[in-house]
Amino acid sequence: MSTIEVTNLSKSYGDVTALDDVSFTIPDGEFVVVLGQSGAGKSTLLRCLNGITRPTSGSITIDDANVMGPRNDVAMIFQQHYILGQMSAYSNALTGALGRTSFLGSLLGMYDGDDKQEALRALETVGLLDEANQRAGKMSGGQQQRVGIARALVQNPNLLLADEPVASLDPASAETVMRYIRDAADERDLTTIASLHQVNIAREFGERFIGMKDGQIVFDGYREDFNVDVIDRIYGDIETEAIREEQTDEPPENNAAATSGARSHEY
Amino acid sequence: MSTDTDRIEDALRNIQIAKRVRLLFSIVVLVLFAWFFTNALSEVGFSIGEIVEYWPEFTDALGDFFPPGTLFGVIPFVDVSQYWAFIQERNLLLQFQDGNPVLGAVFVTFAMGFAGTVLGIPGALILGVLGSERVTPYPFNFIFRGTMSVIRAIPALVWALIYIPLGGVSPFTATLAIGTDTMGNLGRLFTDALEEVEDGPIEAIESTGANSPQKVVFGMLSQVFTPFIAWTMYILEINVRIGVTMGLIGGGGLGQVLQTQRGLFRYTNMMATILVIFMLVVSVEFVSQRVRSYIRGNEEGTSLLKLIVEFPQRMARSIWE
Repeated sequence: MSTIEVTNLSKSYGDVTALDDVSFTIPDGEFVVVLGQSGAGKSTLLRCLNGITRPTSGSITIDDANVMGPRNDVAMIFQQHYILGQMSAYSNALTGALGRTSFLGSLLGMYDGDDKQEALRALETVGLLDEANQRAGKMSGGQQQRVGIARALVQNPNLLLADEPVASLDPASAETVMRYIRDAADERDLTTIASLHQVNIAREFGERFIGMKDGQIVFDGYREDFNVDVIDRIYGDIETEAIREEQTDEPPENNAAATSGARSHEY
Repeated sequence: MSTDTDRIEDALRNIQIAKRVRLLFSIVVLVLFAWFFTNALSEVGFSIGEIVEYWPEFTDALGDFFPPGTLFGVIPFVDVSQYWAFIQERNLLLQFQDGNPVLGAVFVTFAMGFAGTVLGIPGALILGVLGSERVTPYPFNFIFRGTMSVIRAIPALVWALIYIPLGGVSPFTATLAIGTDTMGNLGRLFTDALEEVEDGPIEAIESTGANSPQKVVFGMLSQVFTPFIAWTMYILEINVRIGVTMGLIGGGGLGQVLQTQRGLFRYTNMMATILVIFMLVVSVEFVSQRVRSYIRGNEEGTSLLKLIVEFPQRMARSIWE
């Protein structure tokens, strides 16, 4: 639940420009998908929004407050999930509460009672309540990513960021994980920004789309404007032939429903 | 056409020259190596003549090391009862007096290794964590790394000699020495384990708004929890072996028994003590490796047979390590 305003954001690493004068505004509760090739600047954009990476110039405000560094109320889901394999799913989820727990308290496992409840509620949201005590390292890729989502939810974020959350998952797990992210966002009315590789998944889950190429925004619009020409503009002329054919055959909604049928395979 | 042939011949010539240079280089290296080796031999006074001269004495000693006897009264075998008699006489294992257990020398040796390891762990943790470049920024982490290097440069036996004014020639001094040695060795292993920590989870913990100490504990240490336990078990193995060698300088336990019997030229008793040492070290290693393979997630541990076969090599290593 927050309004994000990005103004003239640029970031360069030495000679390489990762973000080039990016500006947009996202109102409360929108589910935004950022699309683009590898190296288009998606990750850099999300990392700047999270505050892990400091932009070279420009500003980001979340509800009129400038982003100065990582904050507890901005949560991030990573492509490689980056959860701690040695710890249980529950302990991993609880690390989302570190930002509001003292060092000694977190060291001794003395989290707030509400935080413990919150961790279990988050695991329930991602369908892992029964697996709460399992060692995270022994879980499947899809489950580990869901633990990552739970950790993000425990932060009680106003803004949920997901950096290619399903890029390293098989198509079925990818669907499941995306659905959990969207359900969690709907349930908690979270503003969500997710970067994605897969156009079909983006079309299925996205509400608003931001297309990036070479660090610049080449498309910013909603479902109805997001067509094959736009995809061409973002990715160049690759991979879109099949979709173009499908689109002339049948409306994309049916197409999306067909893909989501694969979901039942996972668990 | 002819230019092609020329080029091929050129290439061939170049290859031959390169080969000759390599050969010459190999010869130079070989000569240098031989020169160093002969010098090393003369430096230590190595002499074949001596081996030949004293060979009969050595075989006599071998007869004492392995006193001849028979198994079940028929099969020729080592007279095990002589070993057992000594083990009982000097209480190397365990005895009962009026129903109360009296712990033997084997427990003294194990206690030195175990207590030394536990005493060394806190220091190893502090030095190891602070020595990592990812916790302490670059030039400053070398204060801690350097401290560990200095500790490691001095062998445990020498540490014991240093501590003699503090605790006398005793198992206590030996334990202090082992603890000190552990700080250096285990700490270094901790630092190395920390270098291999992944950046991702640390960043993820940072992204939740955690503070720096939380980042170290949850992002880094939680990743290396298993290797830390495994390395500690490994150091315990080494420390028990060091505990044996501590006895050689009077630190008590099995090593001291061994040293005394050597002084008395009682080779049979020496071999009995060596057998107990063997049993102790292999048991500790066996337990340690089972624990390690368990926490690593049921990998196949080293087999008991392999442990026994490789025993002499590890024992030798612990003396100079």
